[in-house]
Amino acid sequence: MTISFEPTEEQRLMRDTVAQFGAEKLRPRLRETEAARDLAADLRSGLAELGIGALWTPEAHGGAGTSVRTAVLIEEELGFSDAGAAFALPGPNTLAHALVELGDEAQQTKHFAPFAQDPSRVGAVAFSEGRGLARPGFAATAKREGASWILEGEKKFVLNAGRAGTYVVFAQTDEAKGWNGIGAFVVDAAAKGFSVVRRHQTVGLDAAAFGDVKLEGVRVEESDRLAGGDDFDAALRRFFARQSLQVAARAVGVARAGYELARAYADERKAFGKPIAHFQAIAFLIADRLMDVDGARGLVWRAAWTLDGAGSDHWKKKHKGDTELLLRCAESVAEATEVAVRCGDDCIQVHGGAGFVRDFIAEKLFRDAKQMALCTSSATTSDQLFAALALGAPLDPAIVLPVPEIQPVFI
Amino acid sequence: MEFELSKKQQELRDNLNQLGRFVIRPMSLQMDREHQVPATFLQQFVSMANSMRSDDDLAAAFGEGKKEPPSLDKPSFTNRTSLIGAEELAWADASVLLCLPGPGLGGPPIRATGTAEQKQKYFGMIHDADKRGELAWGAYGLTEPSAGSDVSGIQSTCRKDGKHWVINGRKCYITNGARALWVVIFASVDLNKGRAGHRAFVVEKGTTGFSVGKIEDKLGLRASETAELVLEDCRVPEENLLGGEDAYLTKSTGFQTAMKTFDATRPLVASMALGIGRAAYEHARDAVKDRYMIGRPIARYHALVERLAKMHRRLEAARMLTYRAAYMADVGQPNAKEASMSKAAAAQAAVKACVEAIEICGAEGTISKEDALLEKWFRDIKVYDIFEGTGQVQRVVISKRIFSDLKSF
Repeated sequence: MTISFEPTEEQRLMRDTVAQFGAEKLRPRLRETEAARDLAADLRSGLAELGIGALWTPEAHGGAGTSVRTAVLIEEELGFSDAGAAFALPGPNTLAHALVELGDEAQQTKHFAPFAQDPSRVGAVAFSEGRGLARPGFAATAKREGASWILEGEKKFVLNAGRAGTYVVFAQTDEAKGWNGIGAFVVDAAAKGFSVVRRHQTVGLDAAAFGDVKLEGVRVEESDRLAGGDDFDAALRRFFARQSLQVAARAVGVARAGYELARAYADERKAFGKPIAHFQAIAFLIADRLMDVDGARGLVWRAAWTLDGAGSDHWKKKHKGDTELLLRCAESVAEATEVAVRCGDDCIQVHGGAGFVRDFIAEKLFRDAKQMALCTSSATTSDQLFAALALGAPLDPAIVLPVPEIQPVFI
Repeated sequence: MEFELSKKQQELRDNLNQLGRFVIRPMSLQMDREHQVPATFLQQFVSMANSMRSDDDLAAAFGEGKKEPPSLDKPSFTNRTSLIGAEELAWADASVLLCLPGPGLGGPPIRATGTAEQKQKYFGMIHDADKRGELAWGAYGLTEPSAGSDVSGIQSTCRKDGKHWVINGRKCYITNGARALWVVIFASVDLNKGRAGHRAFVVEKGTTGFSVGKIEDKLGLRASETAELVLEDCRVPEENLLGGEDAYLTKSTGFQTAMKTFDATRPLVASMALGIGRAAYEHARDAVKDRYMIGRPIARYHALVERLAKMHRRLEAARMLTYRAAYMADVGQPNAKEASMSKAAAAQAAVKACVEAIEICGAEGTISKEDALLEKWFRDIKVYDIFEGTGQVQRVVISKRIFSDLKSF
């Protein structure tokens, strides 16, 4: 084995199929999708037919059985076509990452099943809260009552709030233990005491629903508590790593869209008698953005390759723990989201005044990119995680995870 | 889409890392002050490389001149493997890498456009010298006082005179130019013809009319020899015209020879920059580590570690671009744009890393001592955004290619 940048024939085929769907269906209707604040029914079913919703679901539980490398190729195309649509996709979404990393086999079997039966079903993870508390940990609580847990409190910034049929809800199980006293619980949207209290109007990705949910005495059985194997903290970090990588791949797509649109506009727009692409101030700017896009993509690919290998015996023999996996995902998401925002920004700049009006896509890319940068472990948090790993420092959740007391994010 | 290094690549990296850590770095400052790498070290290095010759990839990393002539026209190691070796040596000391005996930058143009006889002769000269236990170099003479990145603007001239060519002109900033057994020299048959007039010659040391001007005193890479070369009615035999006369009747011109060279060397230079950048990053990381680990990571260190992480990921992103350019070269895909992207991004990330590392270390970062080479790397790195085409020229190459399919171009 050695370094290679060539996708397999199968990967190319899948990527191209999604790219075509994106170019024909998603991109032409991106304004419609945004205005409706949802995917139209035909787009929803078209995407479900392509099986994209189950991209991150394990094959044993109804997933497509594609590698993470294939998944990131497809995610990039979705981000490139319409990032808003990508985040509004039906399927388990973030819930898949939570079940994979935090759930045991029986829990995965049980909770992935409804998604296999109904591809239009949606999943969500309720992690974030408003401002942090005086003590470390969540305000939402889970208290034992016999063989069950009773959940109380409010969770914020939940992707797919209101659309999801299944949620994984994070809550404090032991207030005295801070971030070591938290738990994750699978909650059905129909559960008594569970409600969606609002949907936010967001700067970007508004086709996806970001909202808050309320828990008023929601009862969850012990068997639906996701224990994260032997090490809940480590599993939680891997959950964020996976989720970050998915966002990073989409961010590369948005960045590439910014680059492509800027490039095309620079050829059309004339100033001082020639297309502005002939001025080095513009040409170099666009060249720099291509370097950004391709560099970030390289990091995403390498992280995906790492994640693909992470389960194998070869990997376990070679690596102790998750360090490399976490490093690769952290650097990917930090770089990709930063690059996406820069590409969106420069795409507007190249368009000049035209970039500021909604006749052109530039302004939407900028908004989507900024939103995306807060849709997962942000660059700030990811850089802290990277550094803590590189320095061999303790992985304090309050520093290396996007917990509310540091920086609430959309999950 | 694979990113695992082969076993050979890992061995190469690890061996060079050990050598760099325990042998090269401890003498790095002294070499910098004395403007040279000790010949005894280079000889040891060469014999060590020769002893590993059974391992093709490994031996090749120490310079093609050390290989048997039959495989001269086709390097048996991949661009990817060369990058890994180059990065590791540059991590130790970039000047040492530039001083290694072998054809140097003169190798790629001969390999790309030389005739079989020329390859045999010039790679053979270095190989034979090596057999005799002598150190031998080749060099690449393109840059002139008035033509750096704009290669088409060279003013050196050549004219045919019987069985000889007569070359006149000055070349500057030539690595190993004074000590080289031969130098690939570019000159023009007709200054009005621009690129089409370019011819490439191999000029041997000692040729009448060929002399060394001044040896440059530089900001960094001070142990590396950078020479000015003077050609005054320099007469070279007609068989020294690279590729032979016929080659210039078809489209393979001297200018293309220069450009082909860059497609292979730019990623190599990029990986050297990454080696220096990584060295600076690691230095800063270790400096921060002591303080961060005291157990009360004060606010300054939260800000610092973010800078560290950013430095690192920029270097890594550039590394991906560099690996890609080398991969494309290895599988025979045109990579001019990607080679320039890797060079531009790596140089930028590495210069930034060195600047940031000094800032992170504070006053300590500017002090010159054997165990703290940061100030040296800071001086060494700057030229990586200049030689093999400045960052700006890379962007000219990139933007020309990314706009080439648009209607106004």
